[in-house]
Amino acid sequence: METLKTAIVEGDDRLAASQAGEALASGLDPLDVLNRGIVPGIQRAGELWQTNQYFLPDVVLSAEAFKAAMKSVEPRLKERQRASVAKRVVIGVVKGDMHDLGKGLVGAMLTAAGFEVTDLGIDVPLEKFVEAARSLKPDILGLGAYMTTTMLQMKRVIAELDQQGLHNGLKVMVGGVPTSQEFADEVGADAWGKDAMDTVRKAQTLAGG
Amino acid sequence: MTNPTLEMIHGLLYGYGLRVGRLGGLGRFFAAMLGDHGDTIPFIGPQIHDHAMTVAQVPARQYYFDAELLVNVQMAVERWYGFDTYTIIPDAYNFEVEALGAKMIYSDIAMPTVDTNVPLIKEPADLDRLGPLAPSKGRIPMGVEVARLITQKISGPLAVGFFCSPFSLICQAMGYPKAVRALKRDRGFAEELFFYAENEAIFPYARAQYQAGVKQTIGADAWACFPNLTPELIDEWVVPSAKRLLEKGKKELGMTIMAGQAAADYCEEDPDKFDKEIMFRCWSTARKTFLLDVAFSGMGRTQDWNMAWLQEFAVQSGKSGRKIPIFASLNGRFMRDSSPQQVVNKIREWINIMGRDGRLLTFIANVPADTPPVNIHAAVQAVHTLGHYPIAADLASVKFQIPTFQPFDEWLRGQPEADVIFKAREKREASTYVLA
Repeated sequence: METLKTAIVEGDDRLAASQAGEALASGLDPLDVLNRGIVPGIQRAGELWQTNQYFLPDVVLSAEAFKAAMKSVEPRLKERQRASVAKRVVIGVVKGDMHDLGKGLVGAMLTAAGFEVTDLGIDVPLEKFVEAARSLKPDILGLGAYMTTTMLQMKRVIAELDQQGLHNGLKVMVGGVPTSQEFADEVGADAWGKDAMDTVRKAQTLAGG
Repeated sequence: MTNPTLEMIHGLLYGYGLRVGRLGGLGRFFAAMLGDHGDTIPFIGPQIHDHAMTVAQVPARQYYFDAELLVNVQMAVERWYGFDTYTIIPDAYNFEVEALGAKMIYSDIAMPTVDTNVPLIKEPADLDRLGPLAPSKGRIPMGVEVARLITQKISGPLAVGFFCSPFSLICQAMGYPKAVRALKRDRGFAEELFFYAENEAIFPYARAQYQAGVKQTIGADAWACFPNLTPELIDEWVVPSAKRLLEKGKKELGMTIMAGQAAADYCEEDPDKFDKEIMFRCWSTARKTFLLDVAFSGMGRTQDWNMAWLQEFAVQSGKSGRKIPIFASLNGRFMRDSSPQQVVNKIREWINIMGRDGRLLTFIANVPADTPPVNIHAAVQAVHTLGHYPIAADLASVKFQIPTFQPFDEWLRGQPEADVIFKAREKREASTYVLA
């Protein structure tokens, strides 16, 4: 597990994938692989980021290694999550916007924190968010935007959720470079994710509340 | 803005102590850049294409495809706000990759965007497949025409074309994670990518601009900001690449090609992580890509910075007790989300720290589409009022009222850009524009 953790911290995706695969093949419980190898690895990368020892290139490589390791672990975990009470998050980048770097990091960090994440992708139309809120019944809906023009779509999505009565039990988070707490308040979001780590912290608070 | 050469000379003389007359915007710029100061601190034109489109209420599908409309809209909106210099730029990051065949998304309300989920470049073989950029493809002819119009309408030393700098172009072509992976894990591939970007993509575009009469062109490089790249990675990859392009432009075209602009811009978002030592390293690295030596803040969260650090850096980097000029940027989100009074208070604070000894220029780093116009009018007038030399000993005692201003449409009537803008509106598709 220590090698797996180190591979993720150091952003070695090939080693991370092989270590995760070997751990599962040796009969280890996927939850153990996640909690003892993968999560400590991505958390350590996050800590190094927080203390200015890691910068975005390092974090991105760690996230890539995290994803590589999760490829083999995730299907096994999903079966377990279905039977458990994992909190559900649906994330996506709003219509007209193709930037998905931040969303990818947020998705990885939320998964590592134990959320069941459904990623709707990029350039997601309003109707698809509404449909996902209705059919998947997530605890949290995360909207990303990375341009000052496309961020205005967030307001429309939230207004539509309100109108259709889907915002009652559902918490909506917004994030992305041009967003801010003031903007989140203005569009009626329940929280603003400043970055991936902040998003996880606030998602945990929202899901627990 | 009249004769740019005369304005420049006036500014230079004023900056060096011959303080006669009232300066024009370009004069203020040169007085602050090359002398000590002008009659007031200049407010230079920002990157404003999204916001200008919103103010002018023209459709994105026309604005981002019609050189004349784009240039007219930005010139009109920038003059309405009273900026001292023009900055005319479209969605500069998209032109080369779009012409090379990248999958794009076009929208009624926003600029064209590259879909990096369908990357143009995945592996080295893709570089051979792509071949050199053809200046007739995509919106390259429009980009060339924008550069030509800028050169014709603005003229002078601030008339520049634009392109996407190599690292940002690589990110646009393959996605940031893959680009970073190449830099850190696959040096050979990274070198091929930079070679391709410089020689096969950017240079043909620059040459087409040169053939249209453009003498200098600037390459935006926001993907190479910090913390996207560390100062060490920028020194290793971005700075040498910018030097190569500059030399190639001079040698083969007699043209100035300035790549790496805004590389090493300190864009840490979390105030708890602001680090003076890293900031100084970033600013030092950024100086290597500018033709003029400046201490530069860009897209960062400057409203929470300790601006005494930027002043200290500028003084420390200067010679003979004279600081290098400071380009101080008001953060776009700060401009959008603040009240006019908060904007004015911030400007008062900054002038107190950085303006007293001159050599300060201000601007907004990329104006968000829905920024309230009153905030921008207030910012420009506050800089011109509070930043009037000699700076008042007690800036708090200088009265400043939030300005009223003529609505854009009223102001536009009778302006040279009116016809082009009003005609474009007639073709407007059903879209919603948000103007605070």
